[in-house]
Amino acid sequence: MTNYRQAKWVSDSLLEPLIFELGKPGRAGYTLPPKLHEQLKISKNLLREKLELPELSEVEVVRHYTRLSQMNYGVDSGIYPLGSCTMKYNPKVCEELASLEEAACVHPYQAEDSVQGALELMYRLERCLAEIAGVDRVCLHPSAGAHGEFVAMLLTRAYHKFKGDGGRAQVIVPDSAHGTNPASAAMAGYEVVTVPSDARGRVDLKALEAAASEWTAALMLTNPNTLGLFEDRILKIAEIIHGVGGLLFYDGANLNGVLGKARPGDMGFDIVHFNLHKTFSTPHGGGGPGAGPVGVKREIEKFLPVPVVEFDEKRKRYYLDYDRPHSIGKVKAFYGNFGVLVKAYAYILLMGAEGLAEVSEAAVLNANYIMRKLSGTKGYELKFDSSGLCKHEVVFSVEPLKRETGIGAKDIAKRLLDYGMHAPTYYFPPIVPEALMIEPTESEPKEELDRLVEALRAIADEARKSPDKLRSAPTATAIGRLDEVKASREPILSWRMYRKA
Amino acid sequence: MQEGLYYSLEHEWVKIEGKLARVGVTDYAQRKLGDVVYIELPEVRKQVKQVAAPKGKEMEMGAVESIKAVSVVYSPLSGEVREVNRELQDRPELVNTSPYSDGWICVLQPSALDVELKNLMDARAYAEYLKKLG
Amino acid sequence: MGHPYIPNVREIREQMLREIGATSIDELFADIPGKIRLKRKLKLPDAMSELEVRRHVQAMLAKNGPFTQMPSFLGGGVWPHHIPAHVRELVRRSEFLTSYTPYQPEVSQGMLQALFEYQSMICELTGMDVANASVYDWATSLGEAALMCARVTGRRKFIVPALINPERFSTLQNYTSGPGFELTKIGYDRRAGQLDLSQLRKELGGDVAGVYVENPSYLGFLETQVDEVAKAAHEAGTLFVVGVNPISLGLLKAPGDYGADIVIGEGQPLGNPVSFGGPLLGIFACRDDTRLVRQMPGRLIGMTTALDSRTRGYVMVLQTREQHIRRERATSSICSNEALCAVTAAIYLASLGPRGLRELGEACAANANYAMRKLKAIKGLKVPIFDAPHFNEFTLNCDGIGISVAKLNAELLKRGIQGGKPLRGEFPELGETSLMCVTEYHTKDDIDRLIDALVEIVR
Repeated sequence: MTNYRQAKWVSDSLLEPLIFELGKPGRAGYTLPPKLHEQLKISKNLLREKLELPELSEVEVVRHYTRLSQMNYGVDSGIYPLGSCTMKYNPKVCEELASLEEAACVHPYQAEDSVQGALELMYRLERCLAEIAGVDRVCLHPSAGAHGEFVAMLLTRAYHKFKGDGGRAQVIVPDSAHGTNPASAAMAGYEVVTVPSDARGRVDLKALEAAASEWTAALMLTNPNTLGLFEDRILKIAEIIHGVGGLLFYDGANLNGVLGKARPGDMGFDIVHFNLHKTFSTPHGGGGPGAGPVGVKREIEKFLPVPVVEFDEKRKRYYLDYDRPHSIGKVKAFYGNFGVLVKAYAYILLMGAEGLAEVSEAAVLNANYIMRKLSGTKGYELKFDSSGLCKHEVVFSVEPLKRETGIGAKDIAKRLLDYGMHAPTYYFPPIVPEALMIEPTESEPKEELDRLVEALRAIADEARKSPDKLRSAPTATAIGRLDEVKASREPILSWRMYRKA
Repeated sequence: MQEGLYYSLEHEWVKIEGKLARVGVTDYAQRKLGDVVYIELPEVRKQVKQVAAPKGKEMEMGAVESIKAVSVVYSPLSGEVREVNRELQDRPELVNTSPYSDGWICVLQPSALDVELKNLMDARAYAEYLKKLG
Repeated sequence: MGHPYIPNVREIREQMLREIGATSIDELFADIPGKIRLKRKLKLPDAMSELEVRRHVQAMLAKNGPFTQMPSFLGGGVWPHHIPAHVRELVRRSEFLTSYTPYQPEVSQGMLQALFEYQSMICELTGMDVANASVYDWATSLGEAALMCARVTGRRKFIVPALINPERFSTLQNYTSGPGFELTKIGYDRRAGQLDLSQLRKELGGDVAGVYVENPSYLGFLETQVDEVAKAAHEAGTLFVVGVNPISLGLLKAPGDYGADIVIGEGQPLGNPVSFGGPLLGIFACRDDTRLVRQMPGRLIGMTTALDSRTRGYVMVLQTREQHIRRERATSSICSNEALCAVTAAIYLASLGPRGLRELGEACAANANYAMRKLKAIKGLKVPIFDAPHFNEFTLNCDGIGISVAKLNAELLKRGIQGGKPLRGEFPELGETSLMCVTEYHTKDDIDRLIDALVEIVR
């Protein structure tokens, strides 16, 4: 048994009641300034008759959501080694800056002279990201990684169409790729061709050569890849794809593994996307908002979404350039998740050139430390490149433990929650059976890494001695395992549906 | 598995019923999938082709879903879908509990039964195949 | 001295290297070929202390003129509203802020329940049964809606109003460029702005996947014929999609009550700051119809019970629609969304309740009405240009006074006022027209100041 207990609120057969089950008629959690007396000329048949929302005082609203927050785990709670998500510490000064009136209370359509600060920040952020990735221009519009990937696919199509090569219908994706890659390519209308990984866990070059043709629009690649391994033959990969006239797209999810050490632009990538909520430490917010800027080499610049932030040397002012005849247009409203951009910019300034390199050094060291410390433990094995190096994340397979005890990656992950740690990613990438993908990030102190390794060892022992304890884990959390089968068989997706059920 | 049925490499079973063929997924398939939460049934009158390599969209006959995976159902014979098991929409778990009886997925009118039956396995061959899969 | 965000200081790193049998950090990067190793420092400023960063960024942002310091009548996709202080405080709680997608529901009941509550409240507002846990914004929500209509109906044509917000239309074009859609715009009645129903009926055929209407429209007026649009769409086997500003739904009829199948919109005004246009909150909701729900994009939170007790809990459901399982066959590639903005919206809605939202809607409409009345009285201005009921946005035309909107706004700016958005670039047929927005945020003094300034300028 572990000493950890997650906070929980319990009443009858629930944790915290639903907001709809709280409050009383007549209560209010707001105040409004006095209304002007105007005759509204809206006919009754356009007005609503009733709205069934709960009525709560501010006190009740605050207590309810405070209690909910107490039953949630974040990076600020403890280690969060979710592979490929880079759950690093989010500096609080970044939050403060994004909440300043001068950031939060400016409208995107304001006269340009009244938003020079915002435009300057975006311009400078773009310059920083371009330098970090080794690209020429960066579009800050996309709201998330997958959005950035989708935009990259649209840019790819525009580029080939411009060159009279619009027939290229395929995008190549490694079998270890994150699901958003093929999904984004498919959304853009491409046929997805999957290439296998070789025995070293890298893209199989022979298979890639066979798959690359005059139909290839692009290859989407993460480097380091989702196994945490550096694609060391990236220059050859670039040669193969460029050789058939295709573009190379970099999925920036794993940039934390090479920050300041190598640049995707120098590896041959033509389009590079970033996850500001990963590498650049903007908070994940329980799923979002993030930002997925897309960087491009010079020849793709003309297709970028509008507007692009430019600087007028003569008049010494920043402006939004809409005069871009080859632009693909808009991929969302306005100019990007500005509130997130402020945080990323501040983070880059806080770390500085040396700090960013130190980030990847510490992240890579932390991951290699776990790799070495755990790889001696019976039950855990490295499917690929076990004697080599990993970058910022490491993928173990617990297939040996499963064969021995019947306990797999999911049960181990659930038991880890009882140790007060968040579980790593499991069952991903799909090419590793019983995968546990561990990304510690540079934010973890050595003691936490030791604790994690100890816990994984202890759990393997528990699997041998009392596997049932693992199957019923977690028990120290606010709630135990949930009936996900029932949830998907008879979905109850809202209060309305709950009342009907 | 059961005798008297024919099997495809994709773990579908076929029962010949006069001029028609009833189709479902095997016990092996339902075990691999885990708890079935949803079945995407094919449309009645859909034309399907017997599954062969390389697999194409015209060979697909719906899908069976668990919470973590989706398994496409491939048609073991070419023909037209005549009937689908609507009961599965309310009770997808029938695929787990009775894959060979109440968990049937659809009934086909085969267009080339004599020729295509040769491409399917009988119970013995399927048992051998399962052994090889380990 | 160690870096505040990197606890393993040099001595500890050296110890760790020894423990794993490596001699230097460089050794750990030996897998990067020399040719691509960056052998120089990144050309970025050196690290700054927290105090220096704060000063630097504050000084930069001080070059902005926020609307807290000068009245702004801009809307058109993001709108200024008062955000109650407790709403901001609650979403800053780091248990929410620093968590990620609730893949481990056992430790994430807080986020899961908050998102379930968001989904539920959006359903009440819109009259739908199911809402997802957010997409990026209204524009991308429209793109997703069109793709969903195509998946459900098997058709490839999508109809939108001619007066659709152009940024949303451009986004829609990009989203539908993959599968090769045909997008058709339906004209409007020049007098009242209303959709041309006879043209719509002509376009509706067996090949239309969905019909989309914005209500209130981009130019602020209400579409009074939505019942007929719904009827015509459904008769043709087409889905009816409605785009909304949810603040209006405290006052106005829910789209679900006039036949909508899918409701999308911009959730930013529900407690989220304007923030120069992002982050935003894409609303996506639909009726409880298996054909629809299984084709929805985005995360869905469902209610269930714990396995070993009957305790109620929440989990992500129907994940087989999503990219991490379906990959290229997913309903959408969306993974990270706008979750925290959604929780913000839930807290805001919970605080306002039905009466608060109604009063808020009335206040916005009343303020806008007051502004319209006073502006209308200025000779030479036509306010609004459409003879229809409006909510809190309206058009202002200054063709009658012989100066452009650009010049008008420049003059207003000299007097410390941000004028409305010029529309000539987007709808040249409307002449020198701008889009004005008024909410409960504006005081009577703000509006009077605008009036006085315009009276002066016009003279």
